Amino acid sequence: MKKKRLTYLMLAAAVLLLLGSTVGSTRAALTYYSDNYVAKITVSQIGVSLLENGEVVSSRDYNDNAWKVTTNKGDGSASGSLLANLLKPEEKLALNKKYDEKLTVKNSGSIDEYVRVRIYRYWMKDGQKVTTLSPDLIDLNFINSVQWVKNPNETAECVELFYKGILKTGKETEPFADTVRIDGRLAQEATIETKGDTVTTVYKYDGVEFHIDVEVDAVQTHNAKDAIKSAWGVDASGLGIL
Amino acid sequence: MKKRKSCKKLAAVSAAALLLTGTLKVEHASAYFTTYVSAGGSQVVRLGSKTEIHEDVSDMTKHISIQNTSQIYDCFVRVKVFYGGGLKISYQDKSESGNLWSYSQNDGYWYYKPILSAGESTELFDIQIGDLPEDFDKESFNVVVIQECTPVVYDEDGNPSADWNTVYTEYQKIADRSGEGAGAK
Repeated sequence: MKKKRLTYLMLAAAVLLLLGSTVGSTRAALTYYSDNYVAKITVSQIGVSLLENGEVVSSRDYNDNAWKVTTNKGDGSASGSLLANLLKPEEKLALNKKYDEKLTVKNSGSIDEYVRVRIYRYWMKDGQKVTTLSPDLIDLNFINSVQWVKNPNETAECVELFYKGILKTGKETEPFADTVRIDGRLAQEATIETKGDTVTTVYKYDGVEFHIDVEVDAVQTHNAKDAIKSAWGVDASGLGIL
Repeated sequence: MKKRKSCKKLAAVSAAALLLTGTLKVEHASAYFTTYVSAGGSQVVRLGSKTEIHEDVSDMTKHISIQNTSQIYDCFVRVKVFYGGGLKISYQDKSESGNLWSYSQNDGYWYYKPILSAGESTELFDIQIGDLPEDFDKESFNVVVIQECTPVVYDEDGNPSADWNTVYTEYQKIADRSGEGAGAK
């Protein structure tokens, strides 16, 4: 009987101790969380922007665990618009005239990066490519050739440029192009018809559109050689861009 | 026999572990931070000109003006005057400043200096026939004016100019349709 009482006593003590320990830990928890802490953890966020005459036309930055894409075409567009402000209102495109087309790249992310651009020039008419016209007649004036290294394996339509060295976060490159000009040789093929008092000159390439597309790629600087090889498929050391 | 089975099992497990390790390695290698942007644009090149010469005759004087009837492209114009021997011809620039038309000794053309914008007309240019003999038939004199135009082109500094030396290559629209048209290169 005495043994049984002792058992009940011990059980009661155990229950009490258990309850007591719970209360204690609850209090400790309340004390621990009573202070407010704001912690912001910055992880590596890569980002790049293409600028035309000082204005951002397209950017893609990793921010808050998501890609933030911004273009001058507005929301929902993955690609920006170039040449939209080439001509003033009512202005007509003139042959041989140089128009401002300053193209630069900005590191809009929070880590340093290496940068490459690809420029495509081609002619279109009625929705189809015009292959009889040389892309060289679209004279995009490439500059800063020391800083922007050309891929020697370029084609007439595609020029590939690598920015030499690291583009630090928040920094902008020197321009890789500054003007665009349509070569006057475009107007060399024409028929001249004289009918009475009227002379009409009809040009073969009236109505053709010149197109310029630009792609910008950026890659991390950590383990750069392998990263560039993996992302762009080129030997960065061989090109002398590291 | 049992021992061999156990060795096989061990080898299989080791291979699986190695494969898994390899997979982890590949994943690690491709996880570089990269990003990209793209943009593109175009502009239409409009070419073409249509000029019309207007000639009014009064008091043995031809009043000449040229109109750029094209709505597409600005151009420069020039005229050349042909006439039979024995006639004495004088020219007069009727513009306000009096110096918009200039004569070139080299080629015998009269050049209109300003750009003739689409839809606009030149200032008047008079060709007067003088010192006529008494028996001259005033109804059938023969003074011919021809006109030419060339599109406005720009030099490196952006200054407009006329390239009168351009030799146009005539093209055939039929050849163009069949894809044989050779383009400027």
